Amino acid sequence: MPTSFNSKNQKSYDDNQLREHRCIEWLKDQKKPVRHLINITALIGIINGVLIIIQSALFAYILQQLVIEQQQIQVLILHFFSLIIVFILRSVCSYYSPVMGFKVAETVKRSIREQLLNKFGQLDPSFRKQQQSGELAATTLEHAEALDNYFSRYLPQQIIVSVLPLIMIAVVIPINWVVAVIFLVTGPLIPLFMALVGMGAASANRNQFLAMARMSAYFLDRLQGLTTLKLFGQAEAELITIKQVSNNFRERTMDVLRIAFLSSAVLEFFSAVAVALVAVYVGLGLLGLVHFGPAVGISLQEALFVLLLAPEFFNPLKQLSVYYHDKAAAVGATDHILKVLEQDEIKVACEESNSHSTEFAIELKNVSKHYQQKDIIHSLSLQVREGEKIALTGESGVGKTSLFNLLLGFEQPTEGVVLINGEMASQQNTQKNIAWAGQQSNIFYASIKDNISLLDTSLSEYQINTVADLAGVTDYSQYLEKGLDTLVGEKGYGLSGGQVQRIVLARTFIKNLPIVLLDEPTAHLDQLTKTRLLDVIDLLFKDITLIIASHDPDVIKRMDRVIDLT
Amino acid sequence: MKDLVFFLKLFKPYNFWLASGIFLSLVTSLASISLLTLSGWFITSSAIAGLLAPDGVAIAFNFMQPAAEIRALAIIRTLGRYAERVVTHEATFKVLAEIRSWFFAKLIPLAPGHLANKQSADLLHSITQDIDALDALYLRLCSPIIIALLGGGLVVGFIAYYSVYLSVIVLLALLITAVIIPWIFNRLGQGGAEKITEQAVKFKVEQIEILQNITELSAFNAYTRFKKQLLHTSEQMITTQRSNNKLSALSTALTLFLSQLTVVVSLVVAAWLFQQQSISGAVLVMLVFTVLAVFELVMPLSSAMQMLAKTQMSAKRIRDIADLKPLIIEPEQPKEINTDAGISIKNLSFRYSDQSPWVLNNINLEIPQGSKIAIVGESGAGKSTLLQLIMRFYDPQQGSIKHSGIDYQQLASDKLMQQFSVLSQRTELFATTIKQNLLIAKPSASDDEITLAIKKAGLNKFIKQLPDGLNTWIGEHGSKVSGGEARRIALARVYLKDAAIILLDEPTEGLDKATELDVLNALEKIAENKTVIMVTHREAGLKLVDKVYKLEQRGLHELSNLIHAGANFS
Repeated sequence: MPTSFNSKNQKSYDDNQLREHRCIEWLKDQKKPVRHLINITALIGIINGVLIIIQSALFAYILQQLVIEQQQIQVLILHFFSLIIVFILRSVCSYYSPVMGFKVAETVKRSIREQLLNKFGQLDPSFRKQQQSGELAATTLEHAEALDNYFSRYLPQQIIVSVLPLIMIAVVIPINWVVAVIFLVTGPLIPLFMALVGMGAASANRNQFLAMARMSAYFLDRLQGLTTLKLFGQAEAELITIKQVSNNFRERTMDVLRIAFLSSAVLEFFSAVAVALVAVYVGLGLLGLVHFGPAVGISLQEALFVLLLAPEFFNPLKQLSVYYHDKAAAVGATDHILKVLEQDEIKVACEESNSHSTEFAIELKNVSKHYQQKDIIHSLSLQVREGEKIALTGESGVGKTSLFNLLLGFEQPTEGVVLINGEMASQQNTQKNIAWAGQQSNIFYASIKDNISLLDTSLSEYQINTVADLAGVTDYSQYLEKGLDTLVGEKGYGLSGGQVQRIVLARTFIKNLPIVLLDEPTAHLDQLTKTRLLDVIDLLFKDITLIIASHDPDVIKRMDRVIDLT
Repeated sequence: MKDLVFFLKLFKPYNFWLASGIFLSLVTSLASISLLTLSGWFITSSAIAGLLAPDGVAIAFNFMQPAAEIRALAIIRTLGRYAERVVTHEATFKVLAEIRSWFFAKLIPLAPGHLANKQSADLLHSITQDIDALDALYLRLCSPIIIALLGGGLVVGFIAYYSVYLSVIVLLALLITAVIIPWIFNRLGQGGAEKITEQAVKFKVEQIEILQNITELSAFNAYTRFKKQLLHTSEQMITTQRSNNKLSALSTALTLFLSQLTVVVSLVVAAWLFQQQSISGAVLVMLVFTVLAVFELVMPLSSAMQMLAKTQMSAKRIRDIADLKPLIIEPEQPKEINTDAGISIKNLSFRYSDQSPWVLNNINLEIPQGSKIAIVGESGAGKSTLLQLIMRFYDPQQGSIKHSGIDYQQLASDKLMQQFSVLSQRTELFATTIKQNLLIAKPSASDDEITLAIKKAGLNKFIKQLPDGLNTWIGEHGSKVSGGEARRIALARVYLKDAAIILLDEPTEGLDKATELDVLNALEKIAENKTVIMVTHREAGLKLVDKVYKLEQRGLHELSNLIHAGANFS
């Protein structure tokens, strides 16, 4: 048992590693277009570091002159002045470093949002159905935002860490090579340190991040199920469970963190020891008690300079370990983003895409569609003439929606050919030929006018008004204070089912395309509303090829032909 | 501010942990300042002593003690930092756990009435994030502020020992950088913080709408336009974020500059004191180093102040919900409930709020024990609302509902809930195993009972093919099981709970024909001898019931026969 458990664990661990690797690779790709901006941000940080070196040198010089050489302050006025200039420059650096960092983040965010939005447009409808729109929407907002700090702070800091300590060592070597050795030994060479910090701090942060995320997911799950819990009389019991689970989470996470924090403690230890060692070494040198190395004859100025540099030497590294959280957050967010970006796009059939001579508006030749093992449409052949009115019937689940998706080019048939006006069905073809209204009538939080035009600015006010009249939208909108400018949808004026359907019909009609598909336009409507709506449909789509999916006898009655899919 | 204080009071049981964390941070910070300061003093003293010694070797100077102290400080700093991290994280986890259970307890009486609407899922989602954000209250707000106050105070006191002038200068500079600048920038940033929240909400609404309607939008060739509009909203957000970011960068830069300026001023003052011979050269260096280090205490404050606005908003949102009044007021002395009883509804009218239109108008309905009825009607007629009123999610504005002849107002709502089992089109599954999801219906259920429930619900075949069987993890919101399987799990729960009244809200919606029949057959057996109230617009379910009522704007009326009822569906 334990071995199988371990191997299972090992596998999920390997999978996680693999996934993380994939996420990091993707993040690297996103970095490419902004590399120069990241470099500039890092450069600002490096300049700041160099300014710190100059500032330390100035301090050391001034203190040497004051304490040892017993100079008057007035003599040093120029140095004080230089010090203030260094400070101004450092403040400027400290201002521009986050400002430049933001520029990096904003560019990346923009590009990721575009990538995601383009992807959304090409996703297979079946994937979209599986995912809740709230979760998908989180990718463009929360998850895209979660990448900010990784690009604006973490990546530049990574460059700073690999440059600044080397500059400091280079400066210190000619002044006091023993101190330079102390730096090099206490920070057992930066790469080694990096690995230490990298493993420790990164895993600490990742664990903490994951634990937090899991805990809040658990909590959210129970909050959303509170009604159910209450119905089963389990709410009070769950309160105790939540406490227990929180505690278990805390204990387990802390067990991991206690170890993980050790690595940053090591970093802390070396930096503290370096300061202490430098202080004691140069101090004893100044006392004349050390007869080794450059300590002999060392001046106060040199001693103070290296002392001031000691903590700064470790600062970039410490900062990086603080920012490790950003990386964990970014990898976590990338996982969500990639789940969307890695989805298959709808395959566009290229072969024989053009000119099948046909007299039919719609023609299906031996079309089959399978989902996994399920056979939804089996070898269906169908011809629809121009101007024909067709009712598509059959119980739900027989493939009406799938057939529509095939006609619209949102999905490709497993076998057979779908032709629209003699061309292969595709999304491009759809845009030229088919207007469509889905089963769930979709209203946006916008004005009625915008809901009809769908923001198409090429449509004139006159056209919209006319169509609104024809579709019977004006019948009710005239009683609204703002008429067609009334905001409807989620937070706007509440429309009834029939009123929504008329807007949808107007939207379909205004496209002025030769084929119209309507999916259950009369569902949930009462008799009177239904009759009125069907009259509108008759009027609007008189000369147009029309397919209505419906099992409503009132609808079927008005059509030329019935196609039963069962 | 009120809201933050409220939560601080909530932290009380963990004061020891919180205080320990702050104490350790303080010790570590002071050790860090002292390390640099003492080293500066030691080096300078050594230099002076070395200079004075005739042969270049200063024997008289006791270097052992300061050298040992420096090493001790290095150790304290290391251990302190480690202990601080462990303790503050422990404290944060404890505090968050406390807030979670506090919030959950607050929410119990609010559910389901306040949580039944569509937006509540999103609301709860953002509340969870708000609660997570409250960890900043301790880690990034209280802790840095207290440390800056105490640490700053101690250091100023230390400087005052050598020079009162200098200590006053440092004190003033600390006040400006730690209090005034953060305060001003907090003020300046408030508008931006609110604006970005609004814009984010706008972005989210637009994004969700686009996603929900994406098929339609692309068919209408309108997707590109909507995408452009969304990217425009994104640009607006970025613009606000940019100016917020600039403001915070400015505040950091200003704090840095002021602190550095203070160092120069201190250097001049200390040099003057040295030339007046009121302090020694070693003390001069020590004081300058102290001032240089003390501002490390202040630097986190400007970012703390930016957190303040955000944390305040989170705290307010959490409290706004927690302070809602429950829609149902529990009776002080509830009457005993009689399990085998019917429900009678008299002259019931209901609307969701005083402004909204009436959803139900003058409804009268007798549901004797053991009867089976269906309520049909067009969507939006208030069928589901009627079911919710029967479960007492809300109280009606007019009329009454009685169970076993007792008005709902006189019954304890948890006792009333025990009378009902619900099967609806949306099964609430928890992110745990199938077994745990079933046990929610009856925690004391034996394995045999569970096996029977699975069989009754037609789940056994599905469970047999799972490698982990009943212990299979079903994912968030049951994302790893299909709609039909979820419905069967809900059915097994109905069987396990064994309540007297079964409420069915579109029980087979979204299922394919075969599954629908299966579920209905299983339901028929489980519902034997029980009262059944079903809401549906599908014909198939009607075979379960003896009577059908139609709900319309005018009220509720019985349909004369089932065949007529059937015609209403076609």
